[in-house]
Amino acid sequence: MKKESTFGYILRLSLTLLIITGVMALLLGSVNALTKDRIDQINAQKARDALAAVLPDAASAQEKTDFSDPTGQISQIYESETGYAIQLTVAGFGGDVDMMVGVSKTGEVLGVSIISHTETAGLGAVAAAKTSNGQAFRDQFVGMSGTLAVTKDGGQVDAISSATITSRAVTEGVNIALAWVAQNG
Amino acid sequence: MNVKKQFMEGLLTKNPVLVQLLGMCSTLAITTSLFNGIGMGLSVTIILICSNVLISALRKVIPSNIRIAAYIVIIAGFVTIVDLLLQAFLPDLSENLGVFIPLIVVNCIILGRAEAFASKNGVLASALDGLFQGIGYTLTLIVMCVIRELLGAGTFGGGILNGGEGIRLLPEGLPAMQMVMPVGGFLTLGFLIAGSQWLVKRLEKKDKEAAK
Repeated sequence: MKKESTFGYILRLSLTLLIITGVMALLLGSVNALTKDRIDQINAQKARDALAAVLPDAASAQEKTDFSDPTGQISQIYESETGYAIQLTVAGFGGDVDMMVGVSKTGEVLGVSIISHTETAGLGAVAAAKTSNGQAFRDQFVGMSGTLAVTKDGGQVDAISSATITSRAVTEGVNIALAWVAQNG
Repeated sequence: MNVKKQFMEGLLTKNPVLVQLLGMCSTLAITTSLFNGIGMGLSVTIILICSNVLISALRKVIPSNIRIAAYIVIIAGFVTIVDLLLQAFLPDLSENLGVFIPLIVVNCIILGRAEAFASKNGVLASALDGLFQGIGYTLTLIVMCVIRELLGAGTFGGGILNGGEGIRLLPEGLPAMQMVMPVGGFLTLGFLIAGSQWLVKRLEKKDKEAAK
């Protein structure tokens, strides 16, 4: 067998890797094309469910197109007769937590709902879970007003055990929503 | 090729979790309810079979200097495919497993099997290896889930049965919360490893006596 030159060897390495990467990219692209619509639909459905969970009259809610948001964390605001549903993003333990907070016109929390997150399964993920303790965590915000904090920080919000950072993040999200309503509502 | 031996290796004597101690991160983190365990186990099994087959098929083409890079690209590709499919078709599971699905990319079981088995053996044997190692991983996760869920939350089948709440076997207040936390994971894993070692030793002894 003819001895391969250094150039040929490097070329062979790069080409092999290029082909493997190319084939995998093609596979990924096709799976993405197949699933994208469905994932978008599921996320849109989740956003609608989240809206219904935090505003009693969600059906009549209108999206507000222009609002001022000094924090830059609010992505959408819906207004209805009873109050506002504010969709915002806070930094959790494992990444961004996308959540929806319902606030009445008088500045009380109507409901909290988490749309998407990457928190630790079994710990921080409880905040978004459909289980009884997940529900209890989110429901405790209902009726609260002012500036909130978890009990560890001297506040009134009971954190999820072993998930203080996630609990703080959710509390911060609620605070941002309350502050926005206090200023603009 | 020895299918029975491969099966026993995956299940017990070379169980990826209990003997090779690979994939600890996911094992300890997600084994808090049955649904998570089954979902994670099946996802890893599918990825393991796919990556083993492809890596085995390409084992003569991939130059050894860049084999790790090539393996990682292949594994990452399959992981992302499974992640997208889960998000599209099993959104609840995808939400529960969260970041652990993308993390399968660096799950040592898959790279470990690619390096130790698929790169040296034929396609069929590698597929079987992926299947059996995957089954070994899944069963270990299921056992961990059942123990931790029972002792930590007092339920069985959380996430699937009884509308996601699981069937309550122990009264509320009795279960020790710690069991679903990291410390419970380490404890359960320790006892499981001890138990599996005892079983392996017993089987070896039996084999020796039978050989006499």
